[in-house]
Amino acid sequence: MARKPQEDPKAEMTPMIDVVFQLMIFFIVTIKQEDIFSKLNANRPAPNASSSESVENDTQIKIDIGPGGMVFNGRGVSLRELDRNIKKLSATSKKATVLVRCTLDSPHMYLVQALDTCNKYGMYNLSIFSM
Amino acid sequence: MAKKPKNEDVSLDMTPMIDVVFQLIIFFVVTLKMSDDKDTTIKLEDGKYGITLTQDELPPSQLTIDVARNGRVSLSNMTLTDQMLAQKVKERKARYGADFPCMIRADYRTKHRDVARVMNICAACGVWKLSFVAVQEAKGSMSRHAGKK
Repeated sequence: MARKPQEDPKAEMTPMIDVVFQLMIFFIVTIKQEDIFSKLNANRPAPNASSSESVENDTQIKIDIGPGGMVFNGRGVSLRELDRNIKKLSATSKKATVLVRCTLDSPHMYLVQALDTCNKYGMYNLSIFSM
Repeated sequence: MAKKPKNEDVSLDMTPMIDVVFQLIIFFVVTLKMSDDKDTTIKLEDGKYGITLTQDELPPSQLTIDVARNGRVSLSNMTLTDQMLAQKVKERKARYGADFPCMIRADYRTKHRDVARVMNICAACGVWKLSFVAVQEAKGSMSRHAGKK
């Protein structure tokens, strides 16, 4: 790669190419940013044990999750409607236990959305059941 | 930076060597970052309001269980059977107690059946406190919304 000295009038290209490569690699590396992740905590009661913890709070909020979406109070709700309902309920008590009951064929996204909505309004007492 | 090669000095021209070394250093820095032990096929649902996860601060006791779209359960890109997963969870519990951070990274399309299976294994081992990993701020490729604005 080291060139012999020459009396050529054209400029030496090697260092420039090197620098350009360095810059290119630098930008390729920095452009690739990482996602920022969050975690949503929830409790998983043991499969066939009646959890004594959830009985302490008499106010239980139930969110059902099916293959097509979320059901709240026996009515299918969109994420926005769920958001509104949880907001209302969180105003009275943030300590209430939220039971999220999922059917086995529901996609994971609805569960995450439901947990995220509860987190949004400070309800951290979440339990997940499977049906 | 470019030395004139015309001098009759005994010392070698260092510039190309330094360039190559720089290239190598950058190469290794980049590849080290890439060999993140994750199932990269997993696309996560958004979770803007969860607790922010800072990748550097994760304690060594944490366990991140990957659940792919087709239900494949893996740890650090190693596929596990249910028995092996139970074994791993038990090991963690024996070492750090039941409160170690146990996180489930499941694809947004994963059926709850597979997630429930993992949760049941953890619960059966006495680990009830689980967390789900979601994307707080999408910048990379892990979000389900990656690539579309």
